[in-house]
Amino acid sequence: MSGVPAIEVENLSVSYDGHSVLRNINLRVEPGEIMVIMGGSGSGKSTLLRHLLGLETPQSGTVRLLGQDIRRMTAPQWQDLRKKMGVAFQSGALFGSMNVGENVMLPLREHTKLDDATMRIMMRLKLDFVNLSGCDHLMPSQLSGGMIKRASLARALIMDPKLLFLDEPSSGLDPVVAAALDELILKLKEATGLSLVVVTHMLESAFKIADRITVLDRGEILVSGTIETVRNSPNERVQALLNRRVEHLELNPEEYLRRLTGTQGARV
Amino acid sequence: MLAAAEGVGRRVIAGFTEVGLAAALFIESLMWLATGAARRQPVRFAAVLEQSIEIGIRAVPIVFVLSFSIGTMVAIQGIHSLRIFGAESQVTFGVALSVTREFAPLITGILVAGRSGSALAARLGTMKINEEISALTVMGINPVRYLVAPALVAMLLMLPALTWFADVVALLGAGLYIAADLDLSFVAYLDQLRAVCTVDDILHGVGKSALFAVLITLVGVINGVQVSGGAEGLGRLTTRSVVHAISAIVIADMIFAYLATRG
Repeated sequence: MSGVPAIEVENLSVSYDGHSVLRNINLRVEPGEIMVIMGGSGSGKSTLLRHLLGLETPQSGTVRLLGQDIRRMTAPQWQDLRKKMGVAFQSGALFGSMNVGENVMLPLREHTKLDDATMRIMMRLKLDFVNLSGCDHLMPSQLSGGMIKRASLARALIMDPKLLFLDEPSSGLDPVVAAALDELILKLKEATGLSLVVVTHMLESAFKIADRITVLDRGEILVSGTIETVRNSPNERVQALLNRRVEHLELNPEEYLRRLTGTQGARV
Repeated sequence: MLAAAEGVGRRVIAGFTEVGLAAALFIESLMWLATGAARRQPVRFAAVLEQSIEIGIRAVPIVFVLSFSIGTMVAIQGIHSLRIFGAESQVTFGVALSVTREFAPLITGILVAGRSGSALAARLGTMKINEEISALTVMGINPVRYLVAPALVAMLLMLPALTWFADVVALLGAGLYIAADLDLSFVAYLDQLRAVCTVDDILHGVGKSALFAVLITLVGVINGVQVSGGAEGLGRLTTRSVVHAISAIVIADMIFAYLATRG
């Protein structure tokens, strides 16, 4: 695998109904590194993540996962690639009809022919890793926010993926639990050496775990590099994001009037 | 005026898109059933069984109550209207045909649409809002194979079975009333039934219910996957799925009855 980037995005542009969501995105994630994608709401980071997960097909540009172009892959190739990818969604996306243990074992049940006892051992190992030992019989509705995120992480790890995606792992958690989760992510990197993509808007968390950070704003990459590069970026929008400054949009009086009166075109 | 026409046009196109999507889902489900095992993604028997219990077994008590009432009701109305001509002894004829060909499949279909079609829409809608469908996809588990195909098979097994059960219960209810009202023995009623009701009549109703099963499943799925905007959207599309499924059943029933009585 050495030399082949875990993820390679080239000139990815996406627009919905004429509204441009991503413009000319270029991104590389090397094997074994933690890439944090940062950006505020509406920055396009969710759309970018959906493309990286292969849930959307690129309208223009290419996305390569573990060296394979996602637009040229056949169904069996996808199937094999999916087994090497783990995803922990923002909401956790645990299946409400199954308990935590069944949730974590689901990929094993569907993709392997292991016997039940082995699957249970593997499940308990992963739950233990995320500090949820003994919780396998609980239903997702009985879990706290932090526990849901950790159970979801255990499920993402069950197939020992090469590529792990975490969508807002610490949002909605209290600072102590969020910090514990960051520690867990670092421990994971150390223990497994997998490549991680973490989408977050939490500055503190990003600076703690990232090898490199990509800052996304209004569909464009503002800066991509090490923590130092990002901190020292001269870009105003990056600094606004880092220092939590409220950005005042430049207002064109005519445009503003038009918006207020709801009239289209130049008639004001 | 133009805007209204445009609106109508948009709705028609959206309607056709939905029908197309439903057809595609149906074909994809059949494909997974046929080739899933070879592609290392079999449609699980356990999932079919679980759905069958939910759709079929749990509906038995309510199907019993409704079909018993419908059977009795048809007998009451039949005797009442035939009495005008002094032909109330012919009531078994009307009851047997109307129950097996229309009332049993229709009432069972409507009941299952309300019970299980909406539940399917709500389940898929909740899963979509909660990113569970995306989670399945990224795990390499095809959602059509995992969620739609088992529901379709269970519905195709259970709705005809429930319809047959409704036939039996409705005819029982009708028989009890007729026997009591016309001073007829129940055995004599059964004899009359055997003389007028053919296998064709039963198959007409049961066959129709298989068609209803497909309609209920697809309408439920289509509405479920279109859910957006949280709880409000979920409620709206769940209601929509019931209304659409019942409408589809009634219209399909009419077309089926027309075609089946031509030949």
